Amino acid sequence: MSHLIIVPIVLPVLAAVLVLLAGQRRQTLARAISVASTSGLAAVALALLIAADTGEYRVYALGQWAAPFGIVLVLDRLSALMLLLTAVVGVCSLLYAVQGCDQQGKNFHALFQFQLMGLNGAFLTGDLFNLFVFFEVFLIASYGLLAHGGGEARLRAGIHYVVINLAGSALFLIAVSLLYGVLGTLNMADLALKVAAADIEDAALIRSAALLLLVVFALKAALFPLYFWLPDAYSSASAPVAALFSIMTKVGVYAILRMYTLVFGAEAGAAQWVAAPWLLPAALATLALGMLGALASRRLKGLIAYLTVASVGTLMAAVGLFSVDGIGAALYYMAHSTLIIAVLFLLSDLIARQRGDHRDRLERAAPVAQPVLLGILFFVGAIGVAGLPPLSGFIGKVMVLQSATATGAVYWVWGVVLAGGLLSIISLSQAGSLLFWNTDVKAEKPFVAAPASAAAIMPVAALLAGIAALSALAQPMKRFAGDAAVQLLHPAGYIHAVLG
Amino acid sequence: MELLVASAIGVLVACGVYLLLRGRTFPVVLGLTLLSYGVNVFIFVMGRLQSGTPPIIKTGAAGYADPLPQALVLTAIVIGFGMTAFVLALAVRARSALGNDHVDGVERSGPERVR
Amino acid sequence: MSLLLIILFPLLGAVLPTIAIRWGRNASAGSAAGVAIIPLALLFLDAPQVFAGKIVQAGWDWVPAIGLNLTFRLDGLGFLFALLILGIGLLVILYARYYLAERDPVGRFYAFLLLFMAAMLGIVLSDNLLLLLVFWELTSLSSFLLIGYWKHHADARQGARMALAITGGGGLALLAGVLLLGHIVGSFELPVILRSRELIQGSPLYLPMLVLILLGAFTKSAQFPFHFWLPHAMAAPTPVSAYLHSATMVKAGVFLLARLYPVLSGSDAWFYLVSGTGLVTLVFAAYVAMFKHDLKGLLAYSTISHLGLIMLLFGLSTPLAAVAGVFHIINHATFKASLFMAAGIIDHESGSRDMRRLNGLWKYMPHTAALAMVAAASMAGVPLFNGFLSKEMFFTEALELHQAGTLWWIVPAAATVAGVFAVAYSLRFIHDVFFNGEPVDLPRTPHEPPRWMKVPVEILVVLCLLVGIFPAYTVAPLLDVAAGSVLGGPLPEFDLAIWHGFTFPLLMSVMALTGGVLVYFALQYRFNLHMIVQSPSPGRRFYNRALARLAGLSVAITGGLQNGSLQSYLALLVAVTLLAGVFPFWQLGWHSGGRPLGMMDGVSGVAWLLLVVSAVCTVIWHRRRLLALIFVGVIGLVVSLIFVRFSAPDLALTQILVEVVSIILLLLALYLLPQTTPRESSVARRMRDAGLAVAAGLGTGGLVWAVLTRPQNTISSFFLEQSVPGGGGSNVVNVILVDFRGFDTFGEIIVLSIAALGIYAMISGLRVERPALDPAGRPWAAGGHPLLLRVASRILLPLALMVSVYLFLRGHNEPGGGFIAGLVTAVALIMQYLASGIAWTEARLRLDHQRMLAIGVLIAGLTGVASWLFGAPFLTSAFAHLHLPVLGELPLTSAMMFDLGVYLTVVATTMLMLVTLGKIGARENA
Repeated sequence: MSHLIIVPIVLPVLAAVLVLLAGQRRQTLARAISVASTSGLAAVALALLIAADTGEYRVYALGQWAAPFGIVLVLDRLSALMLLLTAVVGVCSLLYAVQGCDQQGKNFHALFQFQLMGLNGAFLTGDLFNLFVFFEVFLIASYGLLAHGGGEARLRAGIHYVVINLAGSALFLIAVSLLYGVLGTLNMADLALKVAAADIEDAALIRSAALLLLVVFALKAALFPLYFWLPDAYSSASAPVAALFSIMTKVGVYAILRMYTLVFGAEAGAAQWVAAPWLLPAALATLALGMLGALASRRLKGLIAYLTVASVGTLMAAVGLFSVDGIGAALYYMAHSTLIIAVLFLLSDLIARQRGDHRDRLERAAPVAQPVLLGILFFVGAIGVAGLPPLSGFIGKVMVLQSATATGAVYWVWGVVLAGGLLSIISLSQAGSLLFWNTDVKAEKPFVAAPASAAAIMPVAALLAGIAALSALAQPMKRFAGDAAVQLLHPAGYIHAVLG
Repeated sequence: MELLVASAIGVLVACGVYLLLRGRTFPVVLGLTLLSYGVNVFIFVMGRLQSGTPPIIKTGAAGYADPLPQALVLTAIVIGFGMTAFVLALAVRARSALGNDHVDGVERSGPERVR
Repeated sequence: MSLLLIILFPLLGAVLPTIAIRWGRNASAGSAAGVAIIPLALLFLDAPQVFAGKIVQAGWDWVPAIGLNLTFRLDGLGFLFALLILGIGLLVILYARYYLAERDPVGRFYAFLLLFMAAMLGIVLSDNLLLLLVFWELTSLSSFLLIGYWKHHADARQGARMALAITGGGGLALLAGVLLLGHIVGSFELPVILRSRELIQGSPLYLPMLVLILLGAFTKSAQFPFHFWLPHAMAAPTPVSAYLHSATMVKAGVFLLARLYPVLSGSDAWFYLVSGTGLVTLVFAAYVAMFKHDLKGLLAYSTISHLGLIMLLFGLSTPLAAVAGVFHIINHATFKASLFMAAGIIDHESGSRDMRRLNGLWKYMPHTAALAMVAAASMAGVPLFNGFLSKEMFFTEALELHQAGTLWWIVPAAATVAGVFAVAYSLRFIHDVFFNGEPVDLPRTPHEPPRWMKVPVEILVVLCLLVGIFPAYTVAPLLDVAAGSVLGGPLPEFDLAIWHGFTFPLLMSVMALTGGVLVYFALQYRFNLHMIVQSPSPGRRFYNRALARLAGLSVAITGGLQNGSLQSYLALLVAVTLLAGVFPFWQLGWHSGGRPLGMMDGVSGVAWLLLVVSAVCTVIWHRRRLLALIFVGVIGLVVSLIFVRFSAPDLALTQILVEVVSIILLLLALYLLPQTTPRESSVARRMRDAGLAVAAGLGTGGLVWAVLTRPQNTISSFFLEQSVPGGGGSNVVNVILVDFRGFDTFGEIIVLSIAALGIYAMISGLRVERPALDPAGRPWAAGGHPLLLRVASRILLPLALMVSVYLFLRGHNEPGGGFIAGLVTAVALIMQYLASGIAWTEARLRLDHQRMLAIGVLIAGLTGVASWLFGAPFLTSAFAHLHLPVLGELPLTSAMMFDLGVYLTVVATTMLMLVTLGKIGARENA
């Protein structure tokens, strides 16, 4: 039995512990440990992805207690994809953070590693209550990371973020235990069987629990009307943290994909497709409002935060179709949006650092120190996030649109997605022309804008390289995403792998 | 008895939610505390109500209460404790930095936030 | 392969000019020209095949899954356009070398220009509609960069954004249309699509698809009412206007229609939409052009008008009209590009483009004037110039029209009127600029431009003449292959003669010429044209107003939803939760099960009352925080009673201990927060919240009731059976925590650790200003530590430690365990801090909590990893039994090691939290 599958959970913990033992003073050592662990995670995630792509499920029974009694980790294409995305974003954010952001507060690296541990655990576990535990792990880590660096805006956003998510956690517990109360089990695969076989008398209770869970996950995924915590939290977080957070909203998406195909999917009898009627409208509303928010933003980071919301809307719209095409498109688009949002958050910090007191506010200011370099990066990033060709954003958008073609929702999805695209073009072209064209050349600078070092540019470039790869290798990526979708929509294999 | 428990949980949740919706950090924390009491008992009773049958294996025991929810509640209590501590610290930090203890970080009027 | 290279050279070569600029502007321009010449050569290599009527194709897969592939084709139409793009491109590169000023970043200009060239070539060479769309948007993007090239000009920036918004928006419509087309046909490959005419026109989706595609084409080709972006794109440097905004990019829309002509044309919808739009644009723009005082403005509207003409021709959907359309594409490209260059020269050498000031330049720049006149004559459709030929064909076709029925005369009439306007504005261009009096205070005295700046104009003008005089020997073969690939069938009979005898079209031409001359001079001398000031384009005003509206709307909506009030967000969350929880019962009804209910007893009743009362009191007095806290404490105790009552001793113990620690925490925090809460929420708000709260309570209670009345079926029996044999402990809850579900506990201690670390990171070293007096006006009495407490706590400490060891060891079999033991230890230590103060305690108790925490987690983790050595999964436990005095039989399990980790972590985290928080308060009593 290979232990590789649990490494993404154990390695970061080990790293965090070592960082703590290294102590506050030995920062370079802490950085080295953190970077080493995260790059290790990337390697492991890649290996797991290749393993998962054989199509067989890897199941790891913790404490050798078989499901449904013990907790199991399950690896399929979806979880492998999420692990890899997390690692990639993690590495790049970290490499950016070690340029100095990590010194603005205490315990950055420990919190960072714990956050990765929580995310990876959430993507791997096959037990609903254990999923809750890992949700709490990455949430509390994210609370710490959000507050990292201090500052009033962060504290304001922090209180909102923490309190709302604590309420969400309480709801999560109620939903999980309710399911246990009715069905008497916690293992997801076992839940799927029990739901399918459930007594019609219990249907309402089960559906209620399912919808309560949906609220919890929608809150994490930032779906309308539950995304209000996101814009302030993400736009006030320090750049590397915000970049890392670009994967955190995806946990909600992941959980929805997992639970509402496996447990409340086709086989779920009384609770069949319980989420379906709610997701699509919510997703489209999220997309529309996100794009409007982007247009209304007066700060670059705010704009990006709203584009994050909009991207969640786009991919949830595809998920909401609950078809192989839809979910496949959503997974491809998810990879794209996670990377591009991370790019933009890091980039916005590079830009803000060169605009003196204007920071990332969208107002006329002295030109940045590296107009050409940052201009090109911004232009490419904008093309990517606006879904313009030739980058993966366009390909993903086409996938999403095509997946809706044969459905009844086609006009809604096409209308909102395309109109949203236009809005993003408008808001991004306005922001770009303000930041790089409409500059006050005469203004004698009250500060010396230090050009960004190659080491600071590198993570951004690396993420953009990822976008390029995603675009060039769209065919194999789509193939993988499609296969992952097939796995999700045919849960029998998963259930059999877990319960034998 | 079931009615008693159900209503008790309901009251805890109701009071918790009401305090959760207040405008100052400390009442909100109290609200979260009440809420977590309610939730913990909720989890616990999902194993149904059983008297005098602790899940400790003894020869000749009449029966055992469902141990699993108890384990879950223990985890939940601990996690809840950690969360409460954190949000308290955050409240203190915010109070000292922002000069007030409003959940929006500003007295009364909505904050002027640049987006 | 060569097809791909044709695109790749300018695409990858775009960097060269930016590098070459180091060696001067000539080097930069030279490198750009070099990059453009190679593909031209490649194009000619393929020419023989094309003229032999073959279609050169090449292809590679990109994303077959969505039908997007790198397939290219070179047919007559593609060849024609590629020739225009590369040929005119080269001339523009040469021209721009002299046009751009010293201070302009030349390298960047050529880079953008080459990028555009590559994108445009991509459009005309794509054999896959999605691929075409990719290049389509790329032209919009590169055009955005080129229009905004002079970024310090506000109108340049706005023009660029406007062009991007309109053409980009059109691109999105086109995307939808193309997707629909692909959906109908089942492929995006042109060969397949061009074979499916019946299928496409028979489809119910034909009309929406057509409309969407036309939206794309009309926006790109600046058709009414989307035309207004083009005049504002004139803020770009003139070479750009000559290249993108007259010769090539604006023709992309026309090109697309030509491409899809075989499958889309012929239907009534096509006829009315395309020719209708074309007709309106043709006349409207020609009229506006006459009144433009800005040279480039006049040319811009003339361009729009001519694009309308071409649209109209394709709309008529007769073979000969299509030929005329293709022909006019060629002619317009040549004469309009040269006119723009001439205008650029005039602007460059005289410093103005305003025809009210530019007069009588003939004396200063006769050579340029001559060139301009030829081109203008061609634009006016004067015989012997190429513009005349295509216009003749157009008139002929206008008369051949039958679809319009009784309204047959509209098109010819409109054509003639537009002809009149065209002659008028062409005449104005010449007369106003080169004659008509003397220049009016020009910035500089005009003179001929550098020699090489005129060469491109000369070449184009010569072409105009050659084509105009000897069409059959010059343009004919090119026209044949191009028109052939548009029609996708045999060409109609036509001959490119100048003289067809006295025909009605000829009469129309004569009317246009004479009428035009009359109109112009009437305007100039009768109505004093220079005094007529046109209102700025209504299109732009509409666009700006719409944009402003949109912005206002977005701000209003966003501000309304995102109002920054946590209370409203939470209220919304609660409301959504209620909806989600209740909806299924509203759907399916609410059943309570038939499980026998337990009898209630007095004690429970009292406890219940106590709980309810203190919960309500907490709410009532929540503004008096200390008081509220006491009630909360009471509730906590009752909760632990509940646990006792329903056979959960471990829970009861844990609950009490956590209660104690939490209350201490809350007290510490309260000590740093205001003691009271102001009464600020309105009655309405409180009613709303009360409503939500009650509903939530009822909902939760209802759920509990529903579950409690149902029979239970659970997997727990397994734990009860396996606890002793499998887990080596009789306290099933503890065995679950450290063994069956040890992984949860692992996560749980990590949550604790993170919380402690986060708290430490957040508030350690924080200074809090607190009023010297408490609300009651008393000083904060935290000075000395009461002796009794001090002594007691010190005696208690070892005792407490022993108790915790005992609890820890027996935990596996009896209530207790690492967590509970840890809390006991922590409480005992905290007593020291409370009783003796932080300084005293830390002096004696040297604990680095962070280190201890790390070690705790490490032990737990390593215990888990250790099982790998035995080839077992993470956290697999092994155990042996061992007999000790006092404690009796003691199971020694690896799980105990794990529990030790838990113990250490719990002690460390609890201490870290409390001490960190405590120190802040302590600081100012010290």
